[in-house]
Amino acid sequence: MTTITVDNINSRAELKRKTAKPLLWIGIMSIVMFFGGWTSAVIVSKGSISDWLSIHLPNAFYVSSVIIVLSSIFFHLGYLAIKKDQKKTLFIFVLLTLLSGFGFVISQYLGWKTLYENGIVATGSSSTNASSYLYLITFFHVLHLLAGLISLIVVSVKSKKERYSSSNFLGVELSLIYWHFLGALWIYLFIFLKYIA
Amino acid sequence: MAIIITVVVLLLIVSGVQILKIAELRAISQGEKIYEVSEKEGKSQAILMLVFLVAFMGFFVWQIASWGGLLLPVSASEHGVGLDNLMNVTLFMIIPVFIITHILLFWFAFKYAYSSKRKAVYFAHSNKLELIWTVVPSLALTVLILYGLSNWNTIMKPINQEEEHVLIELVGQQFSWGARYAGEDGKLGRADVNYIEGVNFMGVDASDENSNDDVVVKGEFHIPVNVPVQFVMRSIDIIHSAYMPHFRAQMNCVPGLKTQFNFTPTITTKEMKEITQNDEFEYVLLCNKICGAAHYNMQMNIVVDSKEDYEKWLAEQKTFAE
Amino acid sequence: MSTHHHHHEDFLFKYIFSTDHKMISKQFLITGFLMGFIGMVMSTLFRLQLGWPGESFWLVDALMGSWAEDGVMAPDKYLSLVTMHGTIMVFFLLTAGLSGTFSNLLIPLQIGARDMASGFLNMLSYWFFFVSSVIMLISLGVEGGAASAGWTIYPPLSALPQAIPGSGLGMTLWLVSMAIFIVSSLLGSLNYIVTILNLRTKGMSMTRLPLTIWAFLLTAIIGVLSFPVLLSAALLLVFDRSFGTSFFLSDIYIGGQVLEHSGGSPILFEHLFWFLGHPEVYIVLLPALGITSEIISTMSRKPIFGYRAMIGSMLAIAFLSFIVWGHHMFVTGMNPFLGAVFTFTTLLIAIPSAVKVFNYLTTLWKGNIVYSPAALFSIGLVSTFISGGVTGLVLGDSALDINVHDTYFVVGHFHIVMGLSAIFGMFAGVYHWFPKLFGRMMNNKLGNVHFWITIVSAYGVFFPMHFLGLAGVPRRYYTNSNFPLFDNMVDINELVSTFAIIAAVGQLLFMFNFIYSALRGPKAPMNPWRANSLEWTAPVEHIHGNWYGDIPEVHRWAYDYSKVDESGEYIGGEDFIPQTVPLAENEHDGGGH
Repeated sequence: MTTITVDNINSRAELKRKTAKPLLWIGIMSIVMFFGGWTSAVIVSKGSISDWLSIHLPNAFYVSSVIIVLSSIFFHLGYLAIKKDQKKTLFIFVLLTLLSGFGFVISQYLGWKTLYENGIVATGSSSTNASSYLYLITFFHVLHLLAGLISLIVVSVKSKKERYSSSNFLGVELSLIYWHFLGALWIYLFIFLKYIA
Repeated sequence: MAIIITVVVLLLIVSGVQILKIAELRAISQGEKIYEVSEKEGKSQAILMLVFLVAFMGFFVWQIASWGGLLLPVSASEHGVGLDNLMNVTLFMIIPVFIITHILLFWFAFKYAYSSKRKAVYFAHSNKLELIWTVVPSLALTVLILYGLSNWNTIMKPINQEEEHVLIELVGQQFSWGARYAGEDGKLGRADVNYIEGVNFMGVDASDENSNDDVVVKGEFHIPVNVPVQFVMRSIDIIHSAYMPHFRAQMNCVPGLKTQFNFTPTITTKEMKEITQNDEFEYVLLCNKICGAAHYNMQMNIVVDSKEDYEKWLAEQKTFAE
Repeated sequence: MSTHHHHHEDFLFKYIFSTDHKMISKQFLITGFLMGFIGMVMSTLFRLQLGWPGESFWLVDALMGSWAEDGVMAPDKYLSLVTMHGTIMVFFLLTAGLSGTFSNLLIPLQIGARDMASGFLNMLSYWFFFVSSVIMLISLGVEGGAASAGWTIYPPLSALPQAIPGSGLGMTLWLVSMAIFIVSSLLGSLNYIVTILNLRTKGMSMTRLPLTIWAFLLTAIIGVLSFPVLLSAALLLVFDRSFGTSFFLSDIYIGGQVLEHSGGSPILFEHLFWFLGHPEVYIVLLPALGITSEIISTMSRKPIFGYRAMIGSMLAIAFLSFIVWGHHMFVTGMNPFLGAVFTFTTLLIAIPSAVKVFNYLTTLWKGNIVYSPAALFSIGLVSTFISGGVTGLVLGDSALDINVHDTYFVVGHFHIVMGLSAIFGMFAGVYHWFPKLFGRMMNNKLGNVHFWITIVSAYGVFFPMHFLGLAGVPRRYYTNSNFPLFDNMVDINELVSTFAIIAAVGQLLFMFNFIYSALRGPKAPMNPWRANSLEWTAPVEHIHGNWYGDIPEVHRWAYDYSKVDESGEYIGGEDFIPQTVPLAENEHDGGGH
């Protein structure tokens, strides 16, 4: 293979800088369509069923909402910190975000537990469409959140090692965008499940 | 058998490779660039384009001539006449478009085959032309849409419950049809899959008063001519589709859902036998949504009677209570 | 020892786990064609049954084994074949095979990029596709047979093994395979969009992009927006099938008992499915239209007529494709008002389509057409796009649809407008860009014969189907012989089946040409078709990074063919001006008028 002149586009870092964010945004668009499919399905199902059972969301889901908003704030503060090259602050905030992320998952689990104990089940003959949708949508949100948690772990390890700086924080930014998106998605789903479903 | 075929295929491939190689070597030795299309070759393709145009149009006409008579006979329902007209108008628009564009396409393909003596014309855009072929189709479509929707609204108009009509429930199941008449009270009794048992294949609720005079039939059902018929469709297992081509009628039967369609038959079975000059002719209800292995054999005959014959036939049938 | 090891590693990363877009393109092409071949053989088998119902065939016996006793296939296995034929052709050949091949090959080469935005995601995209293909093929051999509920897999039929054996393990594998396929498609589309938007070379403005790239861009956008919805529908179906939910199931009595499911609606599935399903038609069609726009312009030595209108009409089609899905559901008992709305939006698609057709015709007009096989197939596409398109006006009209819905009229319509157009586009693309794919030329004469056999037999197969449909013959019937009504359709069916066999045999000619040329064909020059776009400035041999030295700069659009100066002589002395040639003084760029 013959050598090729390395110009801007050929350098990996440059390529990543140019394309990573758009890739993420378009990926997010497809996740939006995925949940959009389900929430419209809920509306259609609700319209065709006369005795649609409205379910009271468990208190834990309210707690989750607060936690996920907090976590987004933490992460954003961390992002602002690294922009000013405060590497230690970044690590602390990322750690806080990660912890609240796990807190969110636990809170969601507690929510499902409450639902289950109140006889609201996901499948089987005593389930209703409303309950199945509720479990399914919240569960798949957590699945997407797990990807976010993995990215947070990576970011926290890297920030511990002080790999990020005010001139190099693309990884933080990517993880942040996705995390904010997950938060926004949850708030949307929460409002949807509470007021529409 | 398998061995013979393998050997033949292998021989074909080997000889194909040899022929290609020889042809290519010869071309190269004569100094041709073998991937280049020579003017002569291009001309012969151009002529084939013209031949194809003639053959294609000929095939089109031949099909109409030889199969035109096999299509569905005249519509046996009131709305079907309007629908057939709409179809004719649509065909009247699309067939000329089909023919003219094909003549242009293959004529250009023939006429403008490569010649080293000519230069292609550098003609990249013309707002006027593009405007024409945006506006003209739009106008034609406006006509089609308006005409189509007026038909659609007529067909979908619910039956006036005050006026005389027949209420029939069609029930699909793997792989047969059943029909239930509302009976004298004009009301269908409640029905649900939970009541299915033995001969009660439709799941009619015997405890509902309205059920008693309902009439359930299989294999064949009758409807009176010139009386509006309201169909309610139901399925007890898979999605089926109640397709009655002669009446230009179709509606899916969906489990868990009731769908509706109504039409007024205008030609009795007897009359249709004369029209089609076929003594065996029967109207038929067939399943038109894939529903399982015997989907291709899910049918029920429809008999359109005069009103007197219809009433006589209905009176002979057992009611649900009996 | 060590050199041997090194060589081994090289092979693995060069041919198998390659991240190079050109190699991935070839992988998509070959996998897609293999799947397409299998899909074609399936169609031959069920056409044998339809043409000569109940007759025993050696071929059916040999290929279907226990599915076909004494060489006559079982009715539910007929449905398996139909389902798998549809699935394979629509998704594996015409979505992944077509888009995967040409988006991968042409996007970096035509916009002037070293490679895709992410070579790794690109490789993953192929391997997900490969795994999903393998699973789909495995499903052919499982107990109960492959999925049999039609490629649209409407529940409850697809949800209940009691309803048809293919809805057991076969259907499960179908769903698994499609889920993986969707991931593959999404990864691919992400890459295509970002590459086109962010990695164009200097001077390559959006209005200088070849139409192929515009088509791939819109296709990818449609894919990103519609495939996730199919995934969400498929997941609900998985839950209904395996975990006892009732999203789509309700009030079902089957196999002698009432099922526990209640409250669901099969219609919901249809809505979700067709929200993907209709855009999918354009995912299949747009790349083919892009490819032929490029080829028709190049081979008629004329600029494409109405470049901006072509882009505009593709944008319009892409947008409309999302708001017309209801026309597949006119007879599901939908609200008549909704039906009216969908009729309106559906018929609107005819306008941009008409613009495209007339622009093609004007491009050919007063051209100087060089008849390569690619040019032939491109003209064939214009023909099929017209003949299949006009019948769309019948089916898109809710009132007319009542009587032709799900009949052979539909089968004829979509096979011509979507199946033939897309495969013609794909063939055209392969003949045209073969030198870029394999560095060799295909044999033109064999290509010409292949074209004529294909177009004649394809019309012989699908044109008569309109007549069957108008006579009321439903699709997906194992045989028509149970209805006296259809007794005189026997001749038509025999004719159709005969042409189907001819068409299938004709494709062997292509396979032969393809394999022979890839291995032994004459070496390709850099720009055999004397074309303008950037890929023809790249070296014939495949190098990582596509160009030696710097990436060329672009100074004009891709369609300056036969451009003359005031004296009537070709500018630059040739009948084409590559995109890399700077504009002369007071010369206008064609794209940016």
